[in-house]
Order: sequence, then structure tokens, then C-alpha cells
Amino acid sequence: MGIVTDKLPGALEKVPGGNVLVTRFDEIINWARANSLWPLTFGTSCCAIEMLMATGGPRHDMARFGAEVARPSPRQADLLILAGTIVKRMAPRLRTLYEQMAEPRYVIATGACTISGGPFIYHSYTTVRGADEIIPVDVYVPGCPPRPEQLFHGLLTLQKMIKEGETIREPGVRRKPVISALPEGVTMEDIQGEMKELLVKENVVDVHQAVDKLKWPSGTNDGS
Amino acid sequence: MDRETLQAAVCQLDSSIRPLEENADRAAVVVEAAALPAILRRLRDEPEFSFAQLLDHVAVDWIDRGQFELVYHLYSFKHKHFLFVSVFVPREDPRVPTVCRLYPVAEWQEREVYDLFGVLYEDHPDLRRLFLEDDWIGFPLRKDYQDDFMLDRPR
Amino acid sequence: MTVEVSSLKELVEQASGTSGSPDTQEYFVNMGPQHPSTHGVLRLVLKLDGERVLRCIPVLGYIHRSIEKISEHMNYMNCVHLTDRMDYLSSIMNNWAVAKAVEEAAGIEVNDRIRYIRTIFAELERIQSHQLWWGVLGMDLGAFTPFLYGIRDREVLNDVMEETIGARLTMNYVLPGGLMADIHPNFVNRVKEFIKYFRPKLDEYDDLLTNNVIIQERLRNVGVLSAQTAVQYGATGPVLRGSGVAFDLRKDHPYGVYDQVDFEVPVGTVGDSWDRYWVRVEEMRQSLRIVEQLLDNIPPGDFLVKKLNSKIKLPEGRYYSQLETARGILGVFITSDKKDEPYRLHYRSPNFNNLWCLEPMIKGDYIASLIGAMSSLDLVIPDIDR
Ligand code: SF4
Repeated sequence: MGIVTDKLPGALEKVPGGNVLVTRFDEIINWARANSLWPLTFGTSCCAIEMLMATGGPRHDMARFGAEVARPSPRQADLLILAGTIVKRMAPRLRTLYEQMAEPRYVIATGACTISGGPFIYHSYTTVRGADEIIPVDVYVPGCPPRPEQLFHGLLTLQKMIKEGETIREPGVRRKPVISALPEGVTMEDIQGEMKELLVKENVVDVHQAVDKLKWPSGTNDGS
Repeated sequence: MDRETLQAAVCQLDSSIRPLEENADRAAVVVEAAALPAILRRLRDEPEFSFAQLLDHVAVDWIDRGQFELVYHLYSFKHKHFLFVSVFVPREDPRVPTVCRLYPVAEWQEREVYDLFGVLYEDHPDLRRLFLEDDWIGFPLRKDYQDDFMLDRPR
Repeated sequence: MTVEVSSLKELVEQASGTSGSPDTQEYFVNMGPQHPSTHGVLRLVLKLDGERVLRCIPVLGYIHRSIEKISEHMNYMNCVHLTDRMDYLSSIMNNWAVAKAVEEAAGIEVNDRIRYIRTIFAELERIQSHQLWWGVLGMDLGAFTPFLYGIRDREVLNDVMEETIGARLTMNYVLPGGLMADIHPNFVNRVKEFIKYFRPKLDEYDDLLTNNVIIQERLRNVGVLSAQTAVQYGATGPVLRGSGVAFDLRKDHPYGVYDQVDFEVPVGTVGDSWDRYWVRVEEMRQSLRIVEQLLDNIPPGDFLVKKLNSKIKLPEGRYYSQLETARGILGVFITSDKKDEPYRLHYRSPNFNNLWCLEPMIKGDYIASLIGAMSSLDLVIPDIDR
């Protein structure tokens, strides 16, 4: 688990002999899930270099978001980062991989190919036009390939969705998929600066606060 | 050897070899399908040519002429020269003897052409589809290939 | 009470129901398409006897995106963009191959500045590609640290190139007729800084992997490919050179400005995985040398000699052009019928031909050696499938 970018939901109460945490199960479970996503290494083509290798590398470092434990086996993973074109022959295998993952499982589709077929949409006799024809997708990250920063934004969006979305009574039922793109005028430096400031200020970061300040596009997080 | 000399020298080998009529930027000859393995063997083994490597094997679908053109790209490390050897086969019954005993890599290059064009290689040890599933219908790189899945680009 | 002592042999015989020796237990193992060390979606069907590989059958097509079919419906300027997505670690060199083919066919002469810049970028990308390969080789053999080192240095170079090009992976910089944009004013200085930074790092690479006993043990005499087999199986690039054939298009059929620079082509002797490893590490050094020589004398001029519009038509005929990417010869075969779209566009991809060397290399060896040998081939699967 990386830096937990969120306060533990709930209230601490001091009682003689220690502390008692008062919280709701939904909240604390979602909090834990959101901050320890284990991605499956599923890279079919170009996007894999950016999505799995560059983000796993020291510069971008996925570990900051608690999602660096990449697993080659679907049974140990709960986040499927689709990196690369899906063709007809791969489609059943992808479905199998998805089904082998344990619930709750999340899917981030990165790159134009997994969203729509990308550059291979016309006159291709094999390219599947969008991974959502095969499996449900939670977050789309556009780009060809997306930059690692974009993936992180997608990841943060997913974490937010998880925290807000699921309940124990209805596991796997989630809100509408959201598109992850940096809003106009916001650069990664802004976000990094923001994060740093907050980290300095109180050691932990409240993502919700940061989000409000950054004015993320409406519709990405209202859950409606 | 420059392009013209090489082309002329190859044509000297056998009476069935003739220069390619169409424009090409390398030396290019046309041979008959039945004579192909024998000619390639001579091109490979004779020290004057010593085409040691089959760089590539391409098929072109000339649908108007009703022919497939099979192009073998030969390269010689020794003389650093390059040759296209073309074979024309009819579209209805595309058959050509395999050359994978001469150039082992041809086994897969020919499988690729079979997969995408449906050219049958006689005597091939392992002729099956390479990129597509075994139950795929049709040969997608043929010019008249149609299926329900392909999308045309809106103009 | 009696105790019966049984042997493993009996046990196996009982289990298999045959009287053959336990050494001849043959079975199949399926490796991929979802496997961490096949570098993508290659699938290998392995016939094993114990731990020995008897046969290794590659199964392709899990990323066959029909690029050749799509190209038949695109004009020549657009075809260039799809080549980035084939061998994405040599994207500039792939662009260049198509650009070269179109330029040769249309009779366009590019000026010296373009040639210099193309060569510099191609060499920088060769370094980048080998850096990634080096890191991944370490990871495949069970060492995670090299991956971090490789990616770290790759990012440094990435920044330099990104300043000019604006993309990180699918760069799309070379067009038929020139370049997408001129180099950034900082480019020359930053490349110099990079060279100064990376030279000592290469020695660090040597300390970490090259001189490491475990790595040597796992690569030496593993996956031996004789020169004859390499030629017969159509291998090119570092795979061919590792087997001792000194063939490099940059030397033998110079393009760009390779004929004006002084560099050596590293050649292996035995043809094992170690030689291929060594050839690539040495190539990084030579690429640095090439870049260093060119950097200071980039001549002035335009970065685009002729703005080609998308309706460019090639004269009828067959055109073939080839160049040396980080993995071997990429050939572009264009058949034109005087239209603005190619009648047939075929890519001779280096990985497709290199892949078949795997079986002769690994036959009879242990399955653990297969991973190292495959890593030393440096395969990019979308380039195989196209
Ligand atoms: S979106 Fe672009 S970079 Fe990603 S897999 Fe598709 S073609 Fe490659």
C-alpha cells in the first residue's frame, strides 16, 4: 500500500485505555479496497509499455497510489488495466481472465483501442471495437497511448468511485462509468503541487478537498 | 553486380526465367511455379549468386488479371545483392510448390500467405493458419474479401 | 508388520500404466498468451520431457490487428502512423522505413539536415529500446532492480525526445518528405547532457548485470544459434550479429548519414544468449558514439523539403525499402497501381523472422533457459502479428 491519500473514514473517540474507531463497515471496506488495488499485468500492445512499464518505473511510481503489486495471475488481482488492442482471437481469453478475477473487480480501459478500436477501427477484420463489448469497464482513460499521469488520474477516479459507490449489500454494483481526462487548464504540476502542499500541511491528504479545489469536470464524481 | 547485370545473369540460368515486365526498383524475374524450387536452389547454391537468405515472401492479389503474384525476396550476404522472384498463379487454383526445404523460414512465411490469401503450398510440412483461428472462413487479404464485421470508413 | 519400500520409478510406472522408463514422460504445457515473460500475447505450446523442451510451437494471432488490410485503404501519409503501433519501441525507425520507401518511389531527395536529424533520432531510439530490453531481461531472469535502472534512464532520454516530438511512445516524427517539426532549440544541449549522464550509467549496467555471475551462468551457452541456422531462419539484427554474421544495413547499405560516421558493428562469436546480450549492450555504446559525432554538425536547412499532400500518388510498380531497426531489418514492400492508396503494402518485420529461431535455439534445453533465450531475442509481439 502506498501513501494513503485519504483520511480513515470515521471518528476516533478517546476512551480510558485507548481509542475507539466509530465508522460504518461500507466506508471502511471501500476505503481499504480503494487504497490497495492489485492490478493484473495484462498488456497486449503499445499501451502496455506506458501503462505497465513506465508507470511501474521509478519516475512515475504506481506505488504512490497503492497499486503497484502487479500480479500475473488473475486470481490474485482485482484491477484489470486493459493496455492495448483487443482482437477477436484474444477476446475470449480476456473474458476468461476477467471471470477468473475475484469480486469486487474493477476495469480501467486505457487507450483509444480499448475504448473504440482506435486507429484500427475501419477496414480491420480482427480488431474488437472497444473492450466494453466483452467486459464491463469502470473507467476509460483516453490517449494513444495515454500518459502515465493520465492513468493515475484514472486510478484516482476509480478510487473515488469505489469509496462512494459500492455497499456491502450490493457488491459489484457500481455507478455509471466515468471518463478520466485532465480538465482544461489543469496540469499535472498543479496536482503535484497541490498534493505536496496538502501533505506538508497535515501529513495526510483529503482527496475530496483537493478535488473541489481543482474543479474537476462535473459528472465525473457526482455519482448520478 | 548492379541491377541490370544481375537480372540478365539470372535470366541466363534457365530459358523459363524472364524479366518482370512491370516496373520494380530491384532486379526482378518471373519464373514458372513448377520450376520454382529448382531455380531457387540454383540461385542459392551457385557461388555467382549465393542468395543465402529469403528475406521475405509476399503475395499480391491482382484481381483484375485473375492472378496471385507471389514474390520471393532473396538477399545475398556475400555479394550484397537483392532479387525479386515472382511467380504468377491463377486465382481459382492457387498452387505452388513449397520452398521451405531450401529456406526453413519459408515454412512460416508461406503459412502467413496461406492464412491471408489462401495460396496452397504443395508438400508443405505444416500448412495451417498462422494468425487467424482454424475455423475462420475466407482469406482476408484477398481484394474481394467481405465479412459482416468489417466497417467501411465513412467518406 | 512388514514395511514395503517402493521406489519413485515404480510409483511412476504404476501411475502411468506403462513399463517405459520415467525419463520419457512427455507432456504439453501451454505458455501464454497471458504470461508475464512472453512480453505481450505470444503463446507457446511446449512439449516437454520432464524439464526438457522437446518442441516449442509458437501460436500467433492474439494481436493481429490487420494493419496491412487497413493500409490498403489509407493514403501514404496515413500509413506512416500505423507503423508506430507495430514495433512501438522503434517507432521513429518504422516511420522512417515507410518514408524512405515513399521518397524513393516518388523521387524525392531530402536535404542533409533531415538526414542528420533522422539519424540522430533513430540512434537515440535504439538506445531507448535497448534500455528497456535490458531492464526487462533482468526482470525475466528474476532480478527486479535492472528494470528500475533501465526505466529510470529511459525516462531521462524520453524527456529529451519529448521536448521536440511531443509524444512519449508513438512518436510519429518522420514523414515522407521530411520531419513533423524542427528540433527544439534545447535539443543539442540536452542530448549532450544525456550522453554525459548515460556513459557512466552503462558502466553501472555492466556492474549490475554484465559482470554478474548468475546472469552469466544463465545466459552463457544457453540458446545457441549457429550462424548457418540464423541465416536459414531469416534472423536479422542483433540476433544475426550475435551469431557471428557481421551484417548491419547501416554499414552494408548505408542510408541516412551512416556512411559519414565512424562506428563499429559488434559481433558475437558463439551465438548464445550471452552474445546477443553483449551485442545489444555494445550497440548502446556505439549509438552514443554516432550521436556524438553528428550532434555538433547538424547543417542548416528546412525540416521539410516538400509538403506532400495526402493525395500523393506513386508511379506504378513494386518498391522495396529497408532499414535497420533496433531488432533487425524492417522492409516495406509497396505495390502501387498509380492511385493514392497502396495496392498492397507489406511489412517484413524483423520479429516475425527472428521468432522462428526460438525452436532450434532451445530444443533439448531446460524450460528455465527458454525464458532467458526468449528474452535475448527481444521480441515485440505486435510487430510479429502486425
Ligand atoms: S491506443 Fe494507441 S498506443 Fe494504445 S494500444 Fe492502441 S494503438 Fe497502441
